[in-house]
Amino acid sequence: MHRTVTWLVVVGAIAWAALTADVEMAKFAKAGPRLWDFLSRMVPPDFTIWQDMLRGLAETLQIAILGTLFAVILSVFFGVLASETLMQPYIWRSTRALLAAIRAIPLILVAMLMVGAVGLGPLPGILAITFHATGMLSKFYAEAIDNVAAGPITALQSAGASRQQQLRYGIWPQMAPVILRDTVFRFELNLRESLVLGVVGAGGIGLYIQTYVRSFQYEKAATATLTVIILVLLSELANGYLKKRVT
Amino acid sequence: MTTALTLSGISHDFNGEVSLSDINLSMESGECLALIGPSGAGKSTLLTLLDGRLKGWSGTASVLKKTLDANKPPQRNTRADTGFIFQDFALVDRLTTYQNVMNGRLGRTKNWASVFGHFSTQDHMIVGSILRDTNLAELADRRVDQLSGGQRQRVAIARCLAQEPKLILADEPVSNLDPALAEKVLQLLTGEARKRGIGVVFTSHQPELSQRFADRIVGLRDGRIQFDQPTHEVSEGTIEKLYFGSSTEPGLRVVK
Ligand SMILES: Nc1ncnc2c1ncn2[C@@H]1O[C@H](COP(=O)(O)OP(=O)(O)OP(=O)(O)O)[C@@H](O)[C@H]1O
Ligand SMILES: [Mg+2]
Repeated sequence: MHRTVTWLVVVGAIAWAALTADVEMAKFAKAGPRLWDFLSRMVPPDFTIWQDMLRGLAETLQIAILGTLFAVILSVFFGVLASETLMQPYIWRSTRALLAAIRAIPLILVAMLMVGAVGLGPLPGILAITFHATGMLSKFYAEAIDNVAAGPITALQSAGASRQQQLRYGIWPQMAPVILRDTVFRFELNLRESLVLGVVGAGGIGLYIQTYVRSFQYEKAATATLTVIILVLLSELANGYLKKRVT
Repeated sequence: MTTALTLSGISHDFNGEVSLSDINLSMESGECLALIGPSGAGKSTLLTLLDGRLKGWSGTASVLKKTLDANKPPQRNTRADTGFIFQDFALVDRLTTYQNVMNGRLGRTKNWASVFGHFSTQDHMIVGSILRDTNLAELADRRVDQLSGGQRQRVAIARCLAQEPKLILADEPVSNLDPALAEKVLQLLTGEARKRGIGVVFTSHQPELSQRFADRIVGLRDGRIQFDQPTHEVSEGTIEKLYFGSSTEPGLRVVK
């Protein structure tokens, strides 16, 4: 019964999308050659714009770094509020609901709103990343707090440790690696996501890609795309290396 | 010899469920006392009380000449005076053996200096000599989550000794270890305590270990003391009755 309904919904959804979307099958046929044409105009990439690329990359990095920094600061605050062990149920529950709502808003949408609010440039990018990343990082931090084993803390308390000493030698050693790992993970996501923010005018290398495509300078768009790919691969390498170090 | 602890008329319940009922007990410093009895008898509850971590009990309790307050946890120094050893070791996993043993010094050292990572030369010397006593010197820099169960419990004992306790409370210190290891670890614990003239109260589910290592055995059941005798006077029958006798039988009570 359940399965029949599920299948009906799936088939219905596909049929609806295929039949009513404003895509003529004839266009599909033409799409191949046109994509080919588009791609062939991207070679050879124009590397003379490397200075622009560096500038764009620098701005993207700035957005990711500052966005992560501010998100970390906010997440310490909201992470504590969202912790089951530290807070009353009504506080952590409402904080978590708020964080879930924040996470539900796509970054690109936040960025558009921020551009509307504060104008073009890296500032709306930083604000958007901060907002978006706080939704996830606060939840991670709260979980790191809640996963601290109580036994060792009780042992330190029994040994005569003060609250500060318990925090420093019982709670912090358990939390620090988790927090570090989560923060690095979020920084990598921030870097990737901030690459496209320029498309809506929120600064960074995405802005160059958008400009080149709009003005039909495909050889330059190709260079920018390659730059993005290299950056993402590099950040993945760095993250893999860090993950091995932090356990 | 001086008195290590005196309990009189101690009762406690968890939301109406009785865990301790009219406990009267005293112990000389330097004595080694085993607390035995079936699961749920109140052994852990009694040890937690002696460690100053139980709330809302009634009666009067004095440990190492200090009167316990049923509503207020003791000061740092008083907490450091009683060492506690946990069944599951309760070590900080990501720290090394050395750091975990140094954690035992926290109640004895300067608060803020230690928070900023500074421990006195004396702290380091004490930790060093205890690591040698407990045969852990080669493992000093190993993270404790990479140690075996027996090694971990030795670290826990070392941490306890590092706090220079005047009384050691151990809640099933060897029940997570294999029989041969259990004996060795208990030997280490009681041996080091004897060397330092410190009293020990330990609980165990292995009566034969209690008989080997304790001077005195206290049988607990349903929160009541059923017997309290020097080890050599405790008969097989007494122990059997403690675990298998019917709980309503009053004739079992042999309080010294
Ligand atoms: N945190 C708690 N909340 C409610 N009841 C508890 C709690 N801890 C212990 N009890 C109850 O108090 C009684 C005594 O428990 P206690 O843990 O002291 O027994 P024990 O002798 O240590 O048993 P075991 O040998 O299984 O460790 C039991 O009836 C137990 O169910
Ligand atoms: Mg117990």
